[in-house]
Amino acid sequence: MSAGAKKRIMREYGECLADTPPGMKINFDEQNMTKWEVLLDGPDQSYYAGGHFKLEINFPNEYPFKPPVVAFKTKIYHPNVSNDDKGSMCLGLLRPDEWKPPNKVVAVLRLIQTLLIEPNIDDAIEPSIANEYKENRKEFEKSAKDWVKRYAK
Amino acid sequence: MSRQAVLTAGGFHAYGHRMQDHDSQGHGFVGEGSQSHYDEGRLPAHMELMYPPHPHNHHTHNHHHHNHNHHPELVPVYHQLLPHQPLQQQPQTQLHKQQQQQHLEQQRRRHHQQQQLQQLQQHPGHIGPRPTAVRMVAADSAYVLPDDELAQLQKLSGDYQPETTGPLVGERQSSAAITAEYANADPVYRAKTAVLPDKYAYFRTCLGDGHCGWRAVAFTYFECLIREANVAKFDTELARLMSLENIFHLTSIPYDMILDFAEDAFDLLRKLADALTTGDANADDLLLQAFNQDNISMAIITYIKFLTSAWVQTHPDDFVGFVTMGDLKTYCSLNIEPSQCEIDYVAVAALTAALIKPAGFGFEIMYLDRSPGEEANVTPFSQPTEQGGLLLPTIRLLYRPGHYDILYKAEDFPVPVQQVPEQAPLRVALANPYHDSFVAAPSNVDLMAMIPGLYPTGLGQRWPSVSYDFDSSPAPQTSQVTTIQPYPSAPEIVAPTPTSHQDFIPVDTSPVVQQAPPSHHPIQLEAPPITLPIQPPPPSASLDRAPLTLERGGPFRPSMYELEHLHALPLQTAIFKNSHYNTAHFMNPDFQPEAWSPEYSSKGKNKSPSQ
Repeated sequence: MSAGAKKRIMREYGECLADTPPGMKINFDEQNMTKWEVLLDGPDQSYYAGGHFKLEINFPNEYPFKPPVVAFKTKIYHPNVSNDDKGSMCLGLLRPDEWKPPNKVVAVLRLIQTLLIEPNIDDAIEPSIANEYKENRKEFEKSAKDWVKRYAK
Repeated sequence: MSRQAVLTAGGFHAYGHRMQDHDSQGHGFVGEGSQSHYDEGRLPAHMELMYPPHPHNHHTHNHHHHNHNHHPELVPVYHQLLPHQPLQQQPQTQLHKQQQQQHLEQQRRRHHQQQQLQQLQQHPGHIGPRPTAVRMVAADSAYVLPDDELAQLQKLSGDYQPETTGPLVGERQSSAAITAEYANADPVYRAKTAVLPDKYAYFRTCLGDGHCGWRAVAFTYFECLIREANVAKFDTELARLMSLENIFHLTSIPYDMILDFAEDAFDLLRKLADALTTGDANADDLLLQAFNQDNISMAIITYIKFLTSAWVQTHPDDFVGFVTMGDLKTYCSLNIEPSQCEIDYVAVAALTAALIKPAGFGFEIMYLDRSPGEEANVTPFSQPTEQGGLLLPTIRLLYRPGHYDILYKAEDFPVPVQQVPEQAPLRVALANPYHDSFVAAPSNVDLMAMIPGLYPTGLGQRWPSVSYDFDSSPAPQTSQVTTIQPYPSAPEIVAPTPTSHQDFIPVDTSPVVQQAPPSHHPIQLEAPPITLPIQPPPPSASLDRAPLTLERGGPFRPSMYELEHLHALPLQTAIFKNSHYNTAHFMNPDFQPEAWSPEYSSKGKNKSPSQ
């Protein structure tokens, strides 16, 4: 990783420290600064309220020219998070053809927070969950809350 | 749409892949009022011919020609892109169909990852250094391939080079390589590439990693500054680019983030200017190194992308006519700013206005495609400014569907061989003062030696120290210690200089320099009548030389002889008898300093007042 990339990550971390978005905690290891661990509280107005979700952000060597990779380490029932052990996210912002080098990680985290409140159905990675969210909100709510109790407490 | 508009829309196919997308979906890209922008872009009339209304025309052809088997080593994989081989030439292979299917499936998946929006079949070059038909076919999943063709594709994919190979920007090379590359292409390509080296002697590859267009423009911008070789221009450009900060503030682009990337571009400008100033490093090498460093290359590309975006957003009148889908900000956000997006026509036009034109550089793109014609079409975007009677450099890009490389004309780079003869005479001229004295002096010495009694040998033996001290000319004259002359005789050694130098002898004035110092000395009063007719000393030369004997700045510390001589100097202005006939005179063969032998003075031999 180039010195510029490291500098950039350090600076972003500094900015996160100075102005951490509410409901978020970032664990940063200086020995391995390309891997951030984020603890995200389920927003109060969402189905995930009360849950605490662990996210992992991996910065590629080409960062910021390539997007960071964000994954949920805590299982979550959500149309935009893959329902497997990877917990990968499919965010437009994080796609190579939409990622912009000036974008900051904190913007990504804020976007994830809003996604917990309002999933993006059109860009779902789990079509069945997205369909359920659309067609059968009650069922979706039940599963989401159930998963919070099971995995995110 | 008027005829003009159609023509213009056709032109779009040349520049913007995304635009092709829009256009092919029936969204007329060019609406009312856009024509004026084309005027600025100097869209020539031939565009209509170049770009027929169906941009996919030749791409569909692409799938019908795969015969490289015949010349695998001669023809790069790139040829798969070119629609040039008749179907019947397709070779048969024995590959399993299952493999083929797997392969195609892989290709499809890869393409989905790469985002469908980009219409990759239009510009496969952005994915790999040398696009293959494999990718195009995969992108066009509706197309059904015959088995043998699939097999051929499978073979190709085996040969396919990973996209990380090759430099981001290659070395400049003869464009005959392009002709060779297309030797087996269809006649249109063959004809066009055959005449290419006549006009464009060199080219430089850019890695087809999806940034080649941006990279090509950025690289050539810096390269043109080097070619212009005006160090002050680097400062001007640096100041200008920094002042463009204000257009970022007029948009929502966060300049503090952009500055990170801009700094790499600014640093490179400074480094190149330093290299040109100090000569410590070769600026061309520095530039190539910088652009082959992924992070620097990407930072500069990112900077110019956002510069382009800011320019588009702050010059809506110039660009709004090209953007029918959404506003300019959205357009830039989707088509210019993302890290993985290739330059399109709007970007080319904006970059020309923001970066290239203000620097006074020309900018033209040559389109090499299957459109009918015997030469590839060139579209000028900017004319080079004239400065001091010379045109500033021109950026020339070669566009092949989906890929940009850099082109040069022969005159862009004076051939080194031509430079040498120019410099050679210059070196000779600089060396003249030395060579000439070496050459001329021997003739002096010979002349002196031929006059008997002029310089008694006995006298001359006292001279070495003096002549040596007087002479402040180059070191080779040290050997004159052995001579009898006050004139430098060392040149005898150097005398067999190249004959060309001897041409200078007749007009040479430097021997005078050698003669001048002795003329201050009493004994040499006899010399001028002989030397003057041969080589009349310009007064200035002798005047210059005289003080030099006293303030010698050469590498030698003063010798005791020299100091002695300086003491003796006042004698030169004394009465007549104060000559070398006086044994007290240091030039007298029987010279005896009085301090050493006071008895001489008691004998009345020495009557010098100095005693």
